[in-house]
Amino acid sequence: MNSKKFIAIFFFVSLIIFPICVNTAKGAVSKDAKLCLACHSDQTLTKKLQDKSMLSLYINESEFAASVHVKTGCSGCHRDISLDNHPVVKKITSKRNYMIQQSGKCSVCHTAEELDKRQPIHRSLAAKGTCVECHGSHYIRAMAVEKIGIKENQYCITCHRNRISMTMKNRETLSVYVDESVIKNSAHGKLQCTECHTGFSKTSHPMRSFDSVRDYSVITSEICWKCHADAYKLYEASVHNEHLKAGNMKAPACTDCHGSHSAVSAKKDRSIGLTSCNKCHRDMSPSFEASIHGKALKKGNKDAPVCSSCHNAHDVESTAATTKIKAGCLKCHKDAAKVHSKWLKNPPITLPTFAEAHFDVVSCAACHASGGERGIYLSLYNRRTNKPLTEQELMDMFGTDSAGLTAKMDTNGDGLVDAKEVWDIFHDLFNKGVIAIFMGKMDVRTAEQAHMIGGKEEGIKDCGKCHHPEAEFFKNVYVVMKKDEGNPVLLEAKRDVLNSVYSILPISKFYAIGSSSIKLLDILFIVALIGGIAVPIGHISLRIITSPIRALRRMGKGGKK
Amino acid sequence: MERIHLHALPVRIWHWVNLAAFIILIVTGAQIKMGDKINLFSFETAVDVHSWLGFILIANYFIWLVYYLVTRNIKIYIPPLHHPVEFAKKALTQAKFYGWGIMVGDDNPHHPTFYNKFNPMQQVSYLMIMVLLIPLQLITGLFLWDPHLFGPGVNLIGGIQIADLIHVGLWIFFSAFMIVHFYLATLGHTPMAHIIAMFKGYEEVHEEHGHVHDEGHDEGQGNVHAEEHGHSH
Repeated sequence: MNSKKFIAIFFFVSLIIFPICVNTAKGAVSKDAKLCLACHSDQTLTKKLQDKSMLSLYINESEFAASVHVKTGCSGCHRDISLDNHPVVKKITSKRNYMIQQSGKCSVCHTAEELDKRQPIHRSLAAKGTCVECHGSHYIRAMAVEKIGIKENQYCITCHRNRISMTMKNRETLSVYVDESVIKNSAHGKLQCTECHTGFSKTSHPMRSFDSVRDYSVITSEICWKCHADAYKLYEASVHNEHLKAGNMKAPACTDCHGSHSAVSAKKDRSIGLTSCNKCHRDMSPSFEASIHGKALKKGNKDAPVCSSCHNAHDVESTAATTKIKAGCLKCHKDAAKVHSKWLKNPPITLPTFAEAHFDVVSCAACHASGGERGIYLSLYNRRTNKPLTEQELMDMFGTDSAGLTAKMDTNGDGLVDAKEVWDIFHDLFNKGVIAIFMGKMDVRTAEQAHMIGGKEEGIKDCGKCHHPEAEFFKNVYVVMKKDEGNPVLLEAKRDVLNSVYSILPISKFYAIGSSSIKLLDILFIVALIGGIAVPIGHISLRIITSPIRALRRMGKGGKK
Repeated sequence: MERIHLHALPVRIWHWVNLAAFIILIVTGAQIKMGDKINLFSFETAVDVHSWLGFILIANYFIWLVYYLVTRNIKIYIPPLHHPVEFAKKALTQAKFYGWGIMVGDDNPHHPTFYNKFNPMQQVSYLMIMVLLIPLQLITGLFLWDPHLFGPGVNLIGGIQIADLIHVGLWIFFSAFMIVHFYLATLGHTPMAHIIAMFKGYEEVHEEHGHVHDEGHDEGQGNVHAEEHGHSH
């Protein structure tokens, strides 16, 4: 900036500031006030309140002289006190009550109409009688001066450092108190209040109304998108957002996990990925704490995972319907495929891809969780889009409701989806132009089990657990449909769903050698063996029967030569 | 006694390796697939042996392919499609022989030579087996061996279950084929004639049962020029 420009700005600013400064120059303290100050300029002058606290009655004369109320004098506000009537015993219960009581007197001059005109937010605050909390009492300066003199954040905190609250339409109240030290120590400590609270400024404080405290939290979470668009994009696809969209107001929005003014960078404090989840998923804590991960975390191992390490922080998916959970494990266990390939290999060449082939369809917990049952989860997907077919989409396609869809999946009503029923759904969807596929995954049956990950030595290495016609882990089969709000609908299926000729196309992408082979092929194998043996036996028999003919021909008797 | 050179050394090696591999693959395949009905080895052993032999079979297939391509003798597998009617008639004659002629003591209408080894039925079936079925079996075997590594291929055919369907379907076919093939191998002029020929490379035939045959293109095959061959049924 060149010097001429600087001088021009300096003069311009001075022209604005000068009249204000003149207006706020020390006024003359009235005679009456001087009389009051004769006693109240004593710094030791206090009053013991009913709550045993001490209220200072000291007034700094020079500060008072600089206030906008200097001309009002003492009796302008303290109307119940005069030179003739100074109550010796004035019952004051507490400082807070005294402030509320005294704040009521402000309205004598500062009428509701006037305040409404200046700043409508006063209306709601005045009702709570907290003028003194924001503006102070004896040393009130003109707001124009206050605004110039302080930074925006300080301006906001002038009121919000007080125990003020906001009332919702349902009469719930929300504290809008802001602990300055908390916000300074937060991840947003260097931001201006108005960077998040858009629409607010030193001159504007919109009056807003919300249905409930929860409604406020959800709506104000949208503030975060502005800067955290990437995280929001991930959140949008999460089971949490799906629940929220479906009207479940218990589902978490940004501030439920991150807090509002206390937001801490998850990079600095990983515990947010555990504590925030525990607010809703407390029931998972015991199983996690009993796991090798929970124990490591308790010991202070910095590499030990928290919830968000596996489930992701923002793009959290319903675990029963996701195929992504493995990615959570592999974030830390980067060399898992290589480690597994030490024993999980297929000769003659050892490649990590063979282990990865297992990872594609087997959850880590299926082998590494301690105890419990396993199951095969067949999730209905659209083969073209590679996205799950949700219950709602299916209901719309078939023009039915949830119960109707279940009845369609289980047409014979025996409570178990069988292979023919799987085929029928596949076929019906095909007729409607949708190529469906049941994507299979082996997993533990309960969420608690999924968290109970044991040590390496506890992992299952017995191939027979899966690769056998009577494999233990293939006894429970479920058909999974994703609900719009994320949670899946589980329908129990018959074991032979995996072995039927009806399943070849609908379940063409899930296969485990030995356990999901098509049974009909076993029969065909036997038939082929019998047929193969029958051919020589039949042919030899015919040759034996016809041997006299050949003998005759050899002897030149009958037949052709 | 005439000696007819039929099988070159690489072909004989390929054949017997193929035989051993096929038998073991069929048995281990049955163990892998039907663990509830068969208990010859553990699943792990069956998979290990099956995988090893699968790769041996792949290598062996290339012995066959390279040999027949380099010698340009691959044409013995190609039916004369430019004479379809004649070929169909020959095939029918051959079928009649196996169905009836062999019973009444007719001569085999086909007289194999080094350059015309297969009768029309063999030619069609071996062409299908060598050019379509075995490659399909090997490829689907690779898909099942490592579905992740061969993921794009697996997806191309529709999924791992489809790969299994093809592989197991061919396993069934080859199981039956092996039995029939073995039986047909005993239909030489003596039950062991074809089998011994596959070891020695030469088939010995009695002149009185022989059939003078000159394909007219046996040049350069040493002791095989005009050969006699016949069945002793």
